Amino acid sequence: MLVTAMTNQLLPLLQWCDSNFPTGAFSHSFGLETYIQEGRVSDKETFAAWLYPYIQEQLVYTDGLICRFAYEALDKKDHDKIVYWDRLAAVQNLSRESREANIKMGRRFIQLGLEMYDIEDLRIYQKQVESHQASGHPAIGFAIIAHHLGIPKPTAVLAYLYTCTSNMIQNGVRGIPLGQTDGQRLLQDLQSTLQKAADMIDGLEPDDFGSISPGLELSQMRHERLNVRIFMS
Amino acid sequence: MKDKTGYLYLSAKKKQDKTIIDDIYFYDQLKVIKPLYLDDSGQPSIFVVNPGGGYVDGDTYRMDIRLQENAELLLSNQSATTIYKTPESCVCQEMEIVLKKGSLLEYVPDPIIAFKDAKFRQDTKIYMEPGATLIYAELISPGWSPDGTPFTYDTLRLKTEVYWDGKLAVYDQVRLQPDIQNMYETGFFEGYTHFGSMMVIGDQAAPAFLDQMYDFLEDENLPGRIGFSMLTIPGFTLRVFASSTQDAEGVFNKVHTLIRKEWFNKEPIYLYKY
Repeated sequence: MLVTAMTNQLLPLLQWCDSNFPTGAFSHSFGLETYIQEGRVSDKETFAAWLYPYIQEQLVYTDGLICRFAYEALDKKDHDKIVYWDRLAAVQNLSRESREANIKMGRRFIQLGLEMYDIEDLRIYQKQVESHQASGHPAIGFAIIAHHLGIPKPTAVLAYLYTCTSNMIQNGVRGIPLGQTDGQRLLQDLQSTLQKAADMIDGLEPDDFGSISPGLELSQMRHERLNVRIFMS
Repeated sequence: MKDKTGYLYLSAKKKQDKTIIDDIYFYDQLKVIKPLYLDDSGQPSIFVVNPGGGYVDGDTYRMDIRLQENAELLLSNQSATTIYKTPESCVCQEMEIVLKKGSLLEYVPDPIIAFKDAKFRQDTKIYMEPGATLIYAELISPGWSPDGTPFTYDTLRLKTEVYWDGKLAVYDQVRLQPDIQNMYETGFFEGYTHFGSMMVIGDQAAPAFLDQMYDFLEDENLPGRIGFSMLTIPGFTLRVFASSTQDAEGVFNKVHTLIRKEWFNKEPIYLYKY
Protein backbone atom coordinates (compact mmCIF):
# COMPACT_ATOMS: atom_id res chain seq x y z
CA MET A 1 0.00 0.00 0.00
CA LEU A 2 2.75 2.37 1.00
CA VAL A 3 4.51 1.75 -2.28
CA THR A 4 1.31 2.43 -4.21
CA ALA A 5 0.66 5.68 -2.35
CA MET A 6 4.19 6.82 -3.04
CA THR A 7 3.99 5.82 -6.69
CA ASN A 8 0.74 7.70 -7.06
CA GLN A 9 2.54 10.86 -6.09
CA LEU A 10 6.03 10.13 -7.31
CA LEU A 11 5.34 9.58 -10.99
CA PRO A 12 3.20 12.70 -11.51
CA LEU A 13 5.80 14.71 -9.57
CA LEU A 14 8.59 13.37 -11.79
CA GLN A 15 6.53 14.26 -14.82
CA TRP A 16 5.94 17.86 -13.66
CA CYS A 17 9.59 18.33 -12.72
CA ASP A 18 10.95 16.98 -16.00
CA SER A 19 12.80 19.69 -17.88
CA ASN A 20 11.13 18.40 -21.08
CA PHE A 21 7.76 19.31 -19.64
CA PRO A 22 6.49 22.05 -21.96
CA THR A 23 6.11 25.00 -19.59
CA GLY A 24 8.21 27.25 -21.81
CA ALA A 25 11.08 27.36 -19.30
CA PHE A 26 13.56 26.60 -22.11
CA SER A 27 12.88 30.08 -23.59
CA HIS A 28 13.65 32.04 -20.44
CA SER A 29 17.11 32.57 -18.96
CA PHE A 30 16.03 35.17 -16.35
CA GLY A 31 19.08 37.30 -17.05
CA LEU A 32 21.59 34.45 -17.41
CA GLU A 33 22.01 35.27 -21.09
CA THR A 34 23.21 38.78 -20.16
CA TYR A 35 25.98 37.26 -18.03
CA ILE A 36 26.91 34.90 -20.87
CA GLN A 37 27.08 37.71 -23.44
CA GLU A 38 29.03 39.98 -21.10
CA GLY A 39 31.52 37.13 -20.63
CA ARG A 40 30.85 36.82 -16.92
CA VAL A 41 29.42 33.30 -17.12
CA SER A 42 31.53 31.16 -19.44
CA ASP A 43 32.20 27.77 -17.84
CA LYS A 44 31.10 25.36 -15.12
CA GLU A 45 32.71 27.38 -12.29
CA THR A 46 31.30 30.77 -13.28
CA PHE A 47 27.91 29.18 -13.90
CA ALA A 48 27.99 27.61 -10.42
CA ALA A 49 28.74 31.08 -9.03
CA TRP A 50 25.64 32.37 -10.86
CA LEU A 51 23.41 29.53 -9.67
CA TYR A 52 24.24 30.25 -6.04
CA PRO A 53 22.48 33.66 -5.78
CA TYR A 54 19.80 32.40 -8.16
CA ILE A 55 18.89 29.76 -5.56
CA GLN A 56 19.84 31.57 -2.33
CA GLU A 57 18.23 34.89 -3.17
CA GLN A 58 15.81 34.71 -6.07
CA LEU A 59 14.32 31.27 -5.43
CA VAL A 60 14.42 31.48 -1.62
CA TYR A 61 12.99 34.97 -1.23
CA THR A 62 10.66 35.09 -4.22
CA ASP A 63 9.72 32.09 -6.37
CA GLY A 64 10.14 29.34 -3.79
CA LEU A 65 8.50 31.44 -1.08
CA ILE A 66 5.51 32.10 -3.34
CA CYS A 67 5.19 28.34 -3.82
CA ARG A 68 5.10 27.85 -0.03
CA PHE A 69 2.62 30.66 0.63
CA ALA A 70 0.35 29.48 -2.19
CA TYR A 71 0.39 25.94 -0.79
CA GLU A 72 -0.55 27.26 2.67
CA ALA A 73 -3.35 29.35 1.19
CA LEU A 74 -4.69 26.22 -0.53
CA ASP A 75 -4.69 24.37 2.80
CA LYS A 76 -7.05 27.07 4.04
CA LYS A 77 -9.03 27.26 0.78
CA ASP A 78 -8.12 30.94 0.78
CA HIS A 79 -8.36 31.95 -2.88
CA ASP A 80 -8.07 35.67 -2.11
CA LYS A 81 -4.66 34.96 -0.61
CA ILE A 82 -3.63 33.24 -3.86
CA VAL A 83 -4.57 36.43 -5.72
CA TYR A 84 -2.65 38.47 -3.15
CA TRP A 85 0.60 36.50 -3.68
CA ASP A 86 0.11 36.38 -7.44
CA ARG A 87 -0.22 40.16 -7.54
CA LEU A 88 2.70 40.72 -5.19
CA ALA A 89 4.91 38.43 -7.30
CA ALA A 90 4.02 40.44 -10.43
CA VAL A 91 4.67 43.89 -8.95
CA GLN A 92 7.83 42.72 -7.19
CA ASN A 93 9.38 41.78 -10.52
CA LEU A 94 10.87 45.04 -11.74
CA SER A 95 12.30 43.52 -14.91
CA ARG A 96 9.61 43.53 -17.58
CA GLU A 97 10.92 40.49 -19.45
CA SER A 98 11.23 38.34 -16.35
CA ARG A 99 7.80 39.44 -15.18
CA GLU A 100 6.27 38.54 -18.53
CA ALA A 101 8.17 35.23 -18.56
CA ASN A 102 6.54 34.25 -15.27
CA ILE A 103 3.11 35.29 -16.51
CA LYS A 104 3.52 33.19 -19.67
CA MET A 105 4.83 30.17 -17.79
CA GLY A 106 2.18 30.53 -15.10
CA ARG A 107 -0.59 30.48 -17.69
CA ARG A 108 1.01 27.48 -19.39
CA PHE A 109 1.01 25.64 -16.04
CA ILE A 110 -2.69 26.34 -15.61
CA GLN A 111 -3.47 25.17 -19.13
CA LEU A 112 -1.41 21.97 -18.88
CA GLY A 113 -2.72 21.23 -15.41
CA LEU A 114 -6.30 21.45 -16.58
CA GLU A 115 -5.56 19.32 -19.64
CA MET A 116 -4.33 16.56 -17.35
CA TYR A 117 -6.38 16.85 -14.17
CA ASP A 118 -9.70 18.12 -12.96
CA ILE A 119 -8.59 20.47 -10.18
CA GLU A 120 -11.10 22.91 -8.79
CA ASP A 121 -8.43 25.18 -7.27
CA LEU A 122 -6.75 25.42 -10.65
CA ARG A 123 -10.02 26.28 -12.39
CA ILE A 124 -10.56 29.04 -9.84
CA TYR A 125 -7.03 30.34 -10.44
CA GLN A 126 -7.66 30.24 -14.20
CA LYS A 127 -10.83 32.32 -13.72
CA GLN A 128 -8.90 34.79 -11.57
CA VAL A 129 -6.37 35.14 -14.38
CA GLU A 130 -9.04 35.47 -17.05
CA SER A 131 -10.81 38.19 -15.09
CA HIS A 132 -7.47 40.04 -14.60
CA GLN A 133 -7.54 39.68 -10.83
CA ALA A 134 -4.38 37.58 -11.11
CA SER A 135 -1.53 37.50 -13.65
CA GLY A 136 -0.44 33.89 -13.48
CA HIS A 137 2.75 32.58 -11.86
CA PRO A 138 4.39 29.18 -12.31
CA ALA A 139 5.10 28.79 -8.56
CA ILE A 140 1.37 29.11 -7.86
CA GLY A 141 0.42 26.75 -10.67
CA PHE A 142 2.95 24.24 -9.36
CA ALA A 143 1.68 24.60 -5.77
CA ILE A 144 -1.90 23.99 -6.85
CA ILE A 145 -1.01 20.81 -8.75
CA ALA A 146 1.28 19.51 -5.98
CA HIS A 147 -1.40 20.24 -3.39
CA HIS A 148 -3.97 18.39 -5.47
CA LEU A 149 -1.67 15.38 -5.81
CA GLY A 150 -1.31 15.29 -2.02
CA ILE A 151 2.41 15.97 -2.11
CA PRO A 152 3.46 17.30 1.31
CA LYS A 153 4.41 20.98 1.42
CA PRO A 154 8.17 20.53 2.13
CA THR A 155 8.46 18.10 -0.80
CA ALA A 156 6.43 20.40 -3.05
CA VAL A 157 8.66 23.41 -2.29
CA LEU A 158 11.86 21.39 -2.71
CA ALA A 159 10.58 19.92 -5.98
CA TYR A 160 9.78 23.41 -7.26
CA LEU A 161 13.29 24.62 -6.40
CA TYR A 162 14.66 21.56 -8.16
CA THR A 163 12.65 22.07 -11.33
CA CYS A 164 13.59 25.78 -11.57
CA THR A 165 17.27 24.94 -11.06
CA SER A 166 17.21 22.00 -13.42
CA ASN A 167 15.56 24.11 -16.15
CA MET A 168 18.13 26.84 -15.65
CA ILE A 169 20.99 24.34 -15.88
CA GLN A 170 19.57 23.02 -19.16
CA ASN A 171 19.45 26.63 -20.41
CA GLY A 172 23.04 27.12 -19.28
CA VAL A 173 24.14 23.93 -21.05
CA ARG A 174 22.65 25.26 -24.29
CA GLY A 175 23.57 28.92 -23.88
CA ILE A 176 27.12 28.89 -22.48
CA PRO A 177 27.49 26.09 -23.79
CA LEU A 178 28.49 23.39 -21.32
CA GLY A 179 28.70 19.62 -21.64
CA GLN A 180 25.62 17.67 -20.55
CA THR A 181 27.74 15.85 -17.97
CA ASP A 182 28.92 19.13 -16.46
CA GLY A 183 25.30 20.20 -16.23
CA GLN A 184 24.34 17.02 -14.39
CA ARG A 185 27.31 17.38 -12.05
CA LEU A 186 26.20 20.89 -11.18
CA LEU A 187 22.71 19.66 -10.43
CA GLN A 188 24.12 16.89 -8.25
CA ASP A 189 26.46 19.29 -6.41
CA LEU A 190 23.50 21.57 -5.70
CA GLN A 191 21.39 18.96 -3.94
CA SER A 192 22.35 20.03 -0.42
CA THR A 193 22.07 23.73 -1.41
CA LEU A 194 18.52 23.08 -2.60
CA GLN A 195 17.62 21.26 0.61
CA LYS A 196 19.05 24.14 2.68
CA ALA A 197 17.14 26.62 0.55
CA ALA A 198 13.88 24.73 1.17
CA ASP A 199 14.59 24.78 4.93
CA MET A 200 15.26 28.50 4.78
CA ILE A 201 12.00 29.14 2.94
CA ASP A 202 10.17 27.32 5.69
CA GLY A 203 11.52 29.80 8.26
CA LEU A 204 10.69 33.04 6.44
CA GLU A 205 7.93 35.54 7.21
CA PRO A 206 5.61 37.24 4.70
CA ASP A 207 7.54 40.46 5.37
CA ASP A 208 10.72 38.80 4.02
CA PHE A 209 9.14 38.27 0.63
CA GLY A 210 10.72 39.59 -2.51
CA SER A 211 14.13 40.89 -1.55
CA ILE A 212 16.14 40.98 -4.73
CA SER A 213 19.49 39.75 -5.88
CA PRO A 214 20.78 43.12 -7.15
CA GLY A 215 23.10 41.57 -9.72
CA LEU A 216 20.56 39.16 -11.17
CA GLU A 217 17.89 41.84 -11.37
CA LEU A 218 20.21 44.31 -13.10
CA SER A 219 21.10 41.67 -15.69
CA GLN A 220 17.44 40.78 -16.20
CA MET A 221 16.80 44.45 -16.99
CA ARG A 222 19.84 44.69 -19.28
CA HIS A 223 18.68 41.63 -21.21
CA GLU A 224 16.09 43.83 -22.95
CA ARG A 225 18.90 45.70 -24.69
CA LEU A 226 20.99 42.73 -25.89
CA ASN A 227 21.34 42.68 -29.65
CA VAL A 228 21.34 38.98 -30.39
CA ARG A 229 19.40 36.73 -28.07
CA ILE A 230 18.43 33.08 -27.94
CA PHE A 231 16.27 33.55 -24.83
CA MET A 232 13.23 35.77 -24.36
CA SER A 233 14.35 36.92 -20.93
CA MET B 1 2.22 62.15 21.54
CA LYS B 2 5.85 62.07 20.56
CA ASP B 3 6.47 58.41 19.91
CA LYS B 4 9.29 58.85 17.41
CA THR B 5 12.87 60.05 17.68
CA GLY B 6 12.09 62.45 14.90
CA TYR B 7 8.95 63.27 12.96
CA LEU B 8 8.06 65.46 10.03
CA TYR B 9 4.69 66.22 8.50
CA LEU B 10 4.62 68.37 5.43
CA SER B 11 1.84 69.34 3.05
CA ALA B 12 2.34 71.33 -0.15
CA LYS B 13 -0.32 73.07 -2.18
CA LYS B 14 -0.40 74.89 -5.48
CA LYS B 15 -1.36 78.56 -5.12
CA GLN B 16 -1.52 80.47 -8.41
CA ASP B 17 1.86 79.93 -10.10
CA LYS B 18 3.62 78.82 -6.98
CA THR B 19 3.69 75.80 -4.68
CA ILE B 20 3.49 76.75 -1.03
CA ILE B 21 3.96 74.70 2.11
CA ASP B 22 0.46 74.98 3.61
CA ASP B 23 1.05 72.81 6.65
CA ILE B 24 4.18 71.69 8.40
CA TYR B 25 4.94 70.08 11.73
CA PHE B 26 8.08 68.46 13.06
CA TYR B 27 9.71 67.57 16.32
CA ASP B 28 12.96 66.48 17.94
CA GLN B 29 15.47 64.89 15.60
CA LEU B 30 13.90 65.93 12.30
CA LYS B 31 13.83 69.54 11.21
CA VAL B 32 13.54 71.36 7.92
CA ILE B 33 15.18 74.46 6.58
CA LYS B 34 12.87 77.19 5.24
CA PRO B 35 11.72 76.31 1.69
CA LEU B 36 14.07 77.53 -1.00
CA TYR B 37 12.88 78.62 -4.42
CA LEU B 38 15.96 77.75 -6.45
CA ASP B 39 14.60 78.97 -9.79
CA ASP B 40 11.61 80.90 -11.10
CA SER B 41 9.42 77.81 -11.61
CA GLY B 42 7.52 78.28 -8.35
CA GLN B 43 8.68 74.89 -7.08
CA PRO B 44 10.11 74.90 -3.56
CA SER B 45 12.97 72.72 -2.35
CA ILE B 46 12.87 71.39 1.18
CA PHE B 47 15.94 70.10 2.96
CA VAL B 48 15.47 67.76 5.90
CA VAL B 49 17.99 68.07 8.72
CA ASN B 50 18.89 65.54 11.36
CA PRO B 51 20.23 67.77 14.15
CA GLY B 52 21.83 64.82 15.93
CA GLY B 53 24.02 64.24 12.88
CA GLY B 54 23.16 60.56 12.57
CA TYR B 55 20.92 57.72 13.63
CA VAL B 56 21.69 55.63 16.70
CA ASP B 57 20.44 52.45 18.35
CA GLY B 58 16.68 52.09 18.52
CA ASP B 59 15.90 55.38 16.78
CA THR B 60 12.63 55.60 14.89
CA TYR B 61 11.88 58.27 12.34
CA ARG B 62 8.80 59.07 10.36
CA MET B 63 8.01 61.47 7.55
CA ASP B 64 4.57 62.15 6.13
CA ILE B 65 4.60 64.07 2.87
CA ARG B 66 1.40 65.24 1.15
CA LEU B 67 1.27 66.93 -2.23
CA GLN B 68 -2.09 68.42 -3.17
CA GLU B 69 -3.23 68.66 -6.80
CA ASN B 70 -0.59 70.15 -9.10
CA ALA B 71 1.81 70.94 -6.24
CA GLU B 72 5.51 70.53 -7.05
CA LEU B 73 8.17 69.81 -4.49
CA LEU B 74 11.79 68.83 -4.39
CA LEU B 75 12.73 67.01 -1.21
CA SER B 76 16.24 66.21 -0.11
CA ASN B 77 18.33 66.16 3.01
CA GLN B 78 21.13 68.36 4.15
CA SER B 79 23.58 65.53 4.62
CA ALA B 80 23.89 61.78 4.22
CA THR B 81 21.67 59.41 6.21
CA THR B 82 24.29 58.17 8.63
CA ILE B 83 23.54 55.12 10.75
CA TYR B 84 25.96 54.52 13.60
CA LYS B 85 26.60 51.21 15.27
CA THR B 86 23.36 49.70 16.57
CA PRO B 87 24.30 47.00 19.11
CA GLU B 88 20.78 46.52 20.46
CA SER B 89 17.98 47.19 18.04
CA CYS B 90 17.83 48.52 14.53
CA VAL B 91 17.15 52.03 13.35
CA CYS B 92 13.80 52.31 11.60
CA GLN B 93 12.64 54.96 9.23
CA GLU B 94 9.12 55.16 7.87
CA MET B 95 7.93 57.41 5.14
CA GLU B 96 4.46 57.89 3.72
CA ILE B 97 3.97 59.98 0.61
CA VAL B 98 0.63 60.98 -0.91
CA LEU B 99 0.65 62.49 -4.40
CA LYS B 100 -2.53 63.95 -5.82
CA LYS B 101 -3.30 64.36 -9.52
CA GLY B 102 -0.87 66.59 -11.40
CA SER B 103 1.59 66.84 -8.52
CA LEU B 104 5.34 66.30 -8.85
CA LEU B 105 7.66 65.03 -6.14
CA GLU B 106 11.37 64.81 -6.71
CA TYR B 107 12.95 62.95 -3.81
CA VAL B 108 16.73 62.94 -4.06
CA PRO B 109 18.32 62.35 -0.68
CA ASP B 110 22.04 62.08 -0.01
CA PRO B 111 23.47 58.54 0.21
CA ILE B 112 22.87 56.11 3.04
CA ILE B 113 26.06 55.54 4.99
CA ALA B 114 25.86 52.66 7.45
CA PHE B 115 28.66 52.29 10.00
CA LYS B 116 30.17 49.04 11.21
CA ASP B 117 27.54 46.69 12.70
CA ALA B 118 24.69 49.07 11.85
CA LYS B 119 21.17 47.74 11.30
CA PHE B 120 18.79 49.93 9.34
CA ARG B 121 15.29 49.37 8.13
CA GLN B 122 13.34 51.75 5.93
CA ASP B 123 9.71 51.37 4.94
CA THR B 124 8.30 53.72 2.34
CA LYS B 125 4.71 53.73 1.16
CA ILE B 126 3.69 55.97 -1.70
CA TYR B 127 0.07 56.58 -2.65
CA MET B 128 -0.28 58.14 -6.09
CA GLU B 129 -3.17 59.26 -8.20
CA PRO B 130 -2.77 58.74 -11.95
CA GLY B 131 -1.45 61.95 -13.45
CA ALA B 132 1.02 62.54 -10.61
CA THR B 133 4.78 62.25 -11.17
CA LEU B 134 7.34 60.74 -8.84
CA ILE B 135 11.11 60.74 -9.08
CA TYR B 136 12.49 58.74 -6.17
CA ALA B 137 16.23 58.19 -5.96
CA GLU B 138 18.19 56.28 -3.39
CA LEU B 139 21.88 55.52 -3.10
CA ILE B 140 23.42 52.95 -0.81
CA SER B 141 27.11 53.50 -0.13
CA PRO B 142 29.43 50.72 1.07
CA GLY B 143 29.25 52.33 4.52
CA TRP B 144 31.98 53.43 6.85
CA SER B 145 34.43 51.67 9.12
CA PRO B 146 37.56 52.97 10.89
CA ASP B 147 39.97 51.10 8.62
CA GLY B 148 38.06 51.87 5.42
CA THR B 149 36.80 48.32 4.85
CA PRO B 150 33.56 48.44 2.84
CA PHE B 151 30.39 46.55 3.76
CA THR B 152 30.94 46.24 7.52
CA TYR B 153 27.33 47.07 8.36
CA ASP B 154 25.08 44.32 9.70
CA THR B 155 21.84 44.73 7.73
CA LEU B 156 20.23 47.25 5.43
CA ARG B 157 16.66 46.61 4.53
CA LEU B 158 14.75 49.04 2.34
CA LYS B 159 11.20 48.34 1.34
CA THR B 160 9.31 50.61 -1.05
CA GLU B 161 5.70 50.11 -2.04
CA VAL B 162 3.77 52.22 -4.51
CA TYR B 163 -0.01 52.20 -4.58
CA TRP B 164 -1.18 53.65 -7.86
CA ASP B 165 -4.85 54.45 -8.28
CA GLY B 166 -5.51 52.55 -5.04
CA LYS B 167 -3.75 49.33 -6.09
CA LEU B 168 -0.32 48.01 -5.19
CA ALA B 169 1.73 48.55 -8.35
CA VAL B 170 5.36 48.40 -7.21
CA TYR B 171 6.97 46.34 -4.45
CA ASP B 172 10.70 46.70 -4.03
CA GLN B 173 12.71 45.15 -1.24
CA VAL B 174 16.48 45.43 -0.99
CA ARG B 175 18.03 43.44 1.84
CA LEU B 176 21.79 43.57 2.25
CA GLN B 177 23.54 41.36 4.80
CA PRO B 178 27.26 41.37 4.04
CA ASP B 179 27.90 38.68 6.67
CA ILE B 180 26.04 36.08 4.64
CA GLN B 181 26.11 37.66 1.17
CA ASN B 182 29.39 38.07 -0.65
CA MET B 183 28.95 41.65 -1.84
CA TYR B 184 31.69 41.41 -4.47
CA GLU B 185 30.41 38.24 -6.10
CA THR B 186 27.93 37.32 -8.82
CA GLY B 187 24.39 38.27 -7.91
CA PHE B 188 25.44 40.97 -5.47
CA PHE B 189 27.45 44.07 -6.42
CA GLU B 190 29.77 42.17 -8.76
CA GLY B 191 32.91 44.20 -8.14
CA TYR B 192 31.17 47.53 -7.58
CA THR B 193 30.64 49.22 -4.21
CA HIS B 194 27.70 51.59 -4.67
CA PHE B 195 24.12 50.65 -5.46
CA GLY B 196 21.66 53.23 -6.71
CA SER B 197 17.95 52.97 -7.48
CA MET B 198 15.79 55.48 -9.22
CA MET B 199 12.07 54.94 -9.48
CA VAL B 200 10.25 57.18 -11.91
CA ILE B 201 6.49 57.09 -12.28
CA GLY B 202 4.51 59.40 -14.53
CA ASP B 203 2.36 59.43 -17.64
CA GLN B 204 5.34 60.30 -19.81
CA ALA B 205 7.38 57.29 -18.75
CA ALA B 206 6.44 55.31 -21.87
CA PRO B 207 8.57 52.67 -23.65
CA ALA B 208 9.60 55.29 -26.26
CA PHE B 209 11.07 57.45 -23.52
CA LEU B 210 13.08 54.47 -22.25
CA ASP B 211 14.49 54.00 -25.77
CA GLN B 212 15.43 57.67 -25.84
CA MET B 213 17.02 57.40 -22.40
CA TYR B 214 18.92 54.28 -23.47
CA ASP B 215 20.43 56.05 -26.52
CA PHE B 216 21.24 59.09 -24.42
CA LEU B 217 23.02 57.02 -21.74
CA GLU B 218 24.86 55.01 -24.41
CA ASP B 219 26.21 58.25 -25.86
CA GLU B 220 27.24 59.51 -22.43
CA ASN B 221 29.15 56.26 -21.81
CA LEU B 222 29.13 56.72 -18.03
CA PRO B 223 31.17 54.50 -15.70
CA GLY B 224 29.26 51.83 -13.77
CA ARG B 225 26.63 49.34 -14.86
CA ILE B 226 23.09 50.53 -15.56
CA GLY B 227 19.82 48.67 -16.10
CA PHE B 228 16.24 49.86 -16.30
CA SER B 229 12.85 48.45 -17.16
CA MET B 230 9.19 49.40 -17.42
CA LEU B 231 6.86 48.82 -14.50
CA THR B 232 3.30 47.51 -14.89
CA ILE B 233 2.14 51.16 -14.70
CA PRO B 234 3.57 54.14 -16.62
CA GLY B 235 6.97 54.22 -14.99
CA PHE B 236 10.33 52.53 -14.72
CA THR B 237 12.99 51.52 -12.23
CA LEU B 238 16.62 52.21 -12.92
CA ARG B 239 19.38 50.44 -11.02
CA VAL B 240 23.03 51.31 -11.11
CA PHE B 241 26.20 49.71 -9.80
CA ALA B 242 29.04 52.20 -9.42
CA SER B 243 32.46 52.51 -7.84
CA SER B 244 31.84 55.84 -6.12
CA THR B 245 29.08 58.17 -4.93
CA GLN B 246 30.25 60.48 -7.69
CA ASP B 247 29.68 57.88 -10.44
CA ALA B 248 26.25 56.83 -9.15
CA GLU B 249 25.05 60.40 -8.68
CA GLY B 250 26.40 61.18 -12.12
CA VAL B 251 23.94 58.66 -13.58
CA PHE B 252 21.07 60.00 -11.44
CA ASN B 253 21.93 63.53 -12.51
CA LYS B 254 21.88 62.70 -16.23
CA VAL B 255 18.57 60.87 -16.05
CA HIS B 256 16.98 63.43 -13.75
CA THR B 257 18.09 66.31 -15.97
CA LEU B 258 16.71 64.55 -19.05
CA ILE B 259 13.32 64.04 -17.37
CA ARG B 260 13.14 67.63 -16.12
CA LYS B 261 13.95 68.95 -19.58
CA GLU B 262 11.77 66.57 -21.64
CA TRP B 263 8.72 66.36 -19.40
CA PHE B 264 8.60 69.67 -17.57
CA ASN B 265 10.84 72.00 -19.52
CA LYS B 266 12.69 72.65 -16.26
CA GLU B 267 16.34 73.50 -15.80
CA PRO B 268 18.76 70.97 -14.28
CA ILE B 269 18.86 70.94 -10.49
CA TYR B 270 22.08 71.67 -8.72
CA LEU B 271 21.67 69.33 -5.77
CA TYR B 272 24.08 66.79 -7.09
CA LYS B 273 27.52 67.53 -5.85
CA TYR B 274 29.01 65.95 -8.96
